[in-house]
Amino acid sequence: MTARKYLTAAIVIVVLGGAHVFAWQTTEVSPGALVDGWRGMARFLAEALPPDLDWDTVVQPGLEACLTTLAIGLLGTTLSIPAALLFAVLGTRGRNRIVYQVSRSVMSFLRAVPDVVFALVFVTAVGLGPFAGVLALICHNVGVLGKLWSEAMDEVDPGPADALRVSGAGEAQVVANAVLPAVVPALVGLLLYRFDVNVRSSLVLGLVGAGGVGFLINQSIQLFQFDQMATYILMVLVLIVAVDLLSAAVRRRLG
Amino acid sequence: MEKALSVKGLRKSFGDRVVLNGVDFDVAAGEFVVLLGANGSGKSTALRCVVGLAEADAGEVAIAGDRAAMVFQQIHLVRRRSVIDNVCAGGLAGLPLSRSLSPVLFPKDLRAKAMACLDRVGLADRAKDRAGSLSGGQQQRVAVARALCQGAGVLLADEPVSALDPAAATQVMSLLAELAHRDGLAVAAVLHQPDLARRHADRVLGLLHGEIRLSTSASDLSDVDIEALYAPDRVFA
Repeated sequence: MTARKYLTAAIVIVVLGGAHVFAWQTTEVSPGALVDGWRGMARFLAEALPPDLDWDTVVQPGLEACLTTLAIGLLGTTLSIPAALLFAVLGTRGRNRIVYQVSRSVMSFLRAVPDVVFALVFVTAVGLGPFAGVLALICHNVGVLGKLWSEAMDEVDPGPADALRVSGAGEAQVVANAVLPAVVPALVGLLLYRFDVNVRSSLVLGLVGAGGVGFLINQSIQLFQFDQMATYILMVLVLIVAVDLLSAAVRRRLG
Repeated sequence: MEKALSVKGLRKSFGDRVVLNGVDFDVAAGEFVVLLGANGSGKSTALRCVVGLAEADAGEVAIAGDRAAMVFQQIHLVRRRSVIDNVCAGGLAGLPLSRSLSPVLFPKDLRAKAMACLDRVGLADRAKDRAGSLSGGQQQRVAVARALCQGAGVLLADEPVSALDPAAATQVMSLLAELAHRDGLAVAAVLHQPDLARRHADRVLGLLHGEIRLSTSASDLSDVDIEALYAPDRVFA
């Protein structure tokens, strides 16, 4: 028995080791290149510091862009609620197999397509700007939030729902009066978590032209104005920390 | 007496295991019947078949007024909602969707009816409290009120006092007996405590291996009967 355990351990170690060697080679990891190129990084940092804090050209547009980023994240989250809720309810276990499979598949598809790809698609439809970002976040978020929500609903105690079914309540009445009240705290927690993630995603969406502070970061890099970029990154840092603190505080009060 | 609940030839198997092997029983309006039996004897399954939470393989169930109400061992209230909102939820059947999707939409007459049911179980003063803040015995009485709000003539109870302390158990059993004797409901409860059955019920049915093996008035229930139900191997060896 112990011999077999040793053999299993040895195989696991060899396989894991092999995977890492393969990964090392595939990603062209080269500490030497990093050491040799330190001058490039030093120059980059020297240009980035001190940050450019000019109010009219940098700080004010940056703050406005941060608000846009926040707004993209907010609308992308809020407007995805109805569809996410629908797919989550249809995708809970114990439902008609076809309905279950279809809704799970739709959510998987929406999840599998990165929001950046959705953004590129919507940019071709509505042009560059924040609206494309909002549409992209809605699509991706319906898939992720729907899945998280339907899993939370699957974990809920079926007892109160049974009690209402016995009394002759319809399926929608059972969901509204037994399933949802039991899961709402968990659902709100997951919603806030997604808001947090979506604000960060909307930064990346800005890089592909969907407006917001991500767009300004991209622009300043292309114009080699690294001191402006540093200002924007500092603003992003403050924004992310603020959103994180806010959602953590609300989730704590729910729990 | 008028039969409010009549069960005939109820059969149910889970795979190869026969849980109900032709169960017949009646409960009259105004009667409190207790079903006793060891774990796995099929008591709870019989109740679940009657209310439609499990589908019987064969057999007939006739219920006066078509639908029975039920309370459960695990109580199954929505703990975050108020007591009165939980009771209202028992009366949702037949309400239009537009009035039943949230407690703020519940019609006034449903609230009034729920309040009367809550008063019936002696908890009208706790109407606004969160259901989860009540003790186990109080929560089970709220669950009874929710079942009453359904307006059914038949009330089933699946081990309603198994999770309660003795004082609360007595209180709930007295309530169930009163609902039969004063309010004229047909009440059937699955129990694990023969003593409670003796003290509160009118009639006792005993299930063994999926069949009714005992039917007696509660006052005639003997220790030998109980032994036969709970330790059949020892008795028949």
